[in-house]
Amino acid sequence: MSIVKTENLSKVYNPDTVPVHALKDVTLSFEQGEFTSVVGPSGSGKTTLLNMIGGLDKPTSGSVEIDGFVITGLKDSKLIDFRLNNIGFVFQHYNLIPVFTAFENVSFIMLLQKRDKKELKQRAEELLKAVGLGDRMDAIPSKMSGGQQQRVAVARALASEPKFILADEPTANLDSEAAMNLLDIMEVMNRDKNITFIFSTHDQRVIDRARRVITMVDGAIYSDEVKEVALVNN
Amino acid sequence: MKTILIIAWRNIWRHPARSGVLLAAVIAGLWAGVVTVGTMNGLLQQRVDYVIDSELAHVQIHHPEFLAERRPGDYIPGHQQIFDWLGNDDRVKAFSPRTMADGMIQSPLKTSGVRIRGIDVPMETQTTTFHNHLTEGDYLNAGTRNPILLGKALADDHKMEIGDRVVLFFEDTSGELTSVAFNIAGFFNSASTDYDQRNVLVRSSDLMPLLAGYTHYHEIAISLHGDANPAQVAADLNAAFQGIEAETWRELSPELNTLVELGGVMLYIVTIVIMLALAFGILNTMLMALFERMREIGMLMSIGMSRSRVFMMILIESIILTLGGALAGMLLAWGSIYHLSGSGVNFGMFADGIAELGWDHMIYPVLSMPEYITILGLVVFVTMISSLYPAIKAIRINPLEAAKQV
Repeated sequence: MSIVKTENLSKVYNPDTVPVHALKDVTLSFEQGEFTSVVGPSGSGKTTLLNMIGGLDKPTSGSVEIDGFVITGLKDSKLIDFRLNNIGFVFQHYNLIPVFTAFENVSFIMLLQKRDKKELKQRAEELLKAVGLGDRMDAIPSKMSGGQQQRVAVARALASEPKFILADEPTANLDSEAAMNLLDIMEVMNRDKNITFIFSTHDQRVIDRARRVITMVDGAIYSDEVKEVALVNN
Repeated sequence: MKTILIIAWRNIWRHPARSGVLLAAVIAGLWAGVVTVGTMNGLLQQRVDYVIDSELAHVQIHHPEFLAERRPGDYIPGHQQIFDWLGNDDRVKAFSPRTMADGMIQSPLKTSGVRIRGIDVPMETQTTTFHNHLTEGDYLNAGTRNPILLGKALADDHKMEIGDRVVLFFEDTSGELTSVAFNIAGFFNSASTDYDQRNVLVRSSDLMPLLAGYTHYHEIAISLHGDANPAQVAADLNAAFQGIEAETWRELSPELNTLVELGGVMLYIVTIVIMLALAFGILNTMLMALFERMREIGMLMSIGMSRSRVFMMILIESIILTLGGALAGMLLAWGSIYHLSGSGVNFGMFADGIAELGWDHMIYPVLSMPEYITILGLVVFVTMISSLYPAIKAIRINPLEAAKQV
């Protein structure tokens, strides 16, 4: 069964004045364990698509189904709750809580889930060690490099045990070494833990590492390519 | 909740200077407001206490028409029975009968209108504290014949010294004009220049025979124990005796009553004005903090922090900041008022002007516990109101627009 499915997804901004068709009848599905990049020029609709899948925006028509559950039409409060327990987010600008340490940033989402304190502590430590930050647990974001912050963001996204992770331009603000390091971590998570990653990116390094590349143009799917290397890896 | 508290606390100290300035503003504002209210309260309370203690007392008895007409013949009927009643009532601390006349005082220099107060010195001393205002001479105890006490202001007007002689003119109970010489035995200086210029004190035993050939009193001032209710004592007296009118200090001096009520109103006005100013400060700081953190709050909502938690986070930040400052300000104000209630605030530089108004230049601030609680209640109320807007604004943030991208 698909982990994410979109059905004739359309989004029109300013329908009453100057309509902008950000998405046009997009029908897609993502399977568990995919490592997918959504690419395309600016304004092609890739961010809008990720917003719809992440339950951050509502479509004009069509539907989004996550693990068999249709989220389209859910009330705002239900959507927030749904996101907390089902979707992990990695943002371009890291967006960590600046007053929290790396450990607290990762724990925070589990606290929102009201998890057991002991389990939470153990999991946060494991995740930070997994992203190579076992020795920076008590550092606050301003004392960390961009690459380290983004790795904390990945650990935070994984902490809630989501069904998949949406990553918006995760490497856009990172230098080559940090970007490759981050991609390595995400690739290991994907390979070893079967975690699904869906990226929106312009970064060729991410595109090169993705096993499926969806190209969007003018709000529609232009191509949907599963790479050979991906097949080999799978 | 603990996590929300932690995040709110750390957010406050994200910009220590900004939070510190707001805290300082709340502390200083509240301290200034509470001390101002306490000083005003003290000023009003002192005026009330002064008038009650030094002359008015808690309850007074007169002939029903005396205060309106001030006729010498309108004296209190059956005063001895009243004395007995007062002597047997546990609520009464002391009482002082007074014989009074309105007339003129003549010195070699000029003539002035005065109210002549005939007192029984031992009883007056137990009932009022007027003897404390004696600045020179004796409190009518001198062996001289017909001693009289003048206000210092009146004595200065007439350029009179102790031992000088003045003549009092007044109407007796039969309507005849009487004039008698009195010897100046001392001067008093009350808080009111006006009072000092218009009142003279003599012994009632000297004045009474000049007004009528029998013992009679126009006024009985009654001082009560602290827990006694003046209104109840007055009502009991009116029920017990015919032909008299017993009134409380509130009825006898409506302007004093107004002062007491004004004190209560001022407490609210000053506190509300200060809190309104603080409310805008809180609002401004919290909105600045909110606008700065739009992306962050959007992110928190994106990853699954509910709007109610965001609301609580912003509300708690405001409340910690403001209530923290308010409590510190209140504590500082309490300490200041505690200290100043002993040492007093000296408005000596305005002493002459203040005395013209009948006020003392040493003010002893005072604020009761219910008043502290009222102020704290107002602070909590204003804090909640001013914190609500940023909190409501926070939960209206669209995470998509705030975070810009997924």
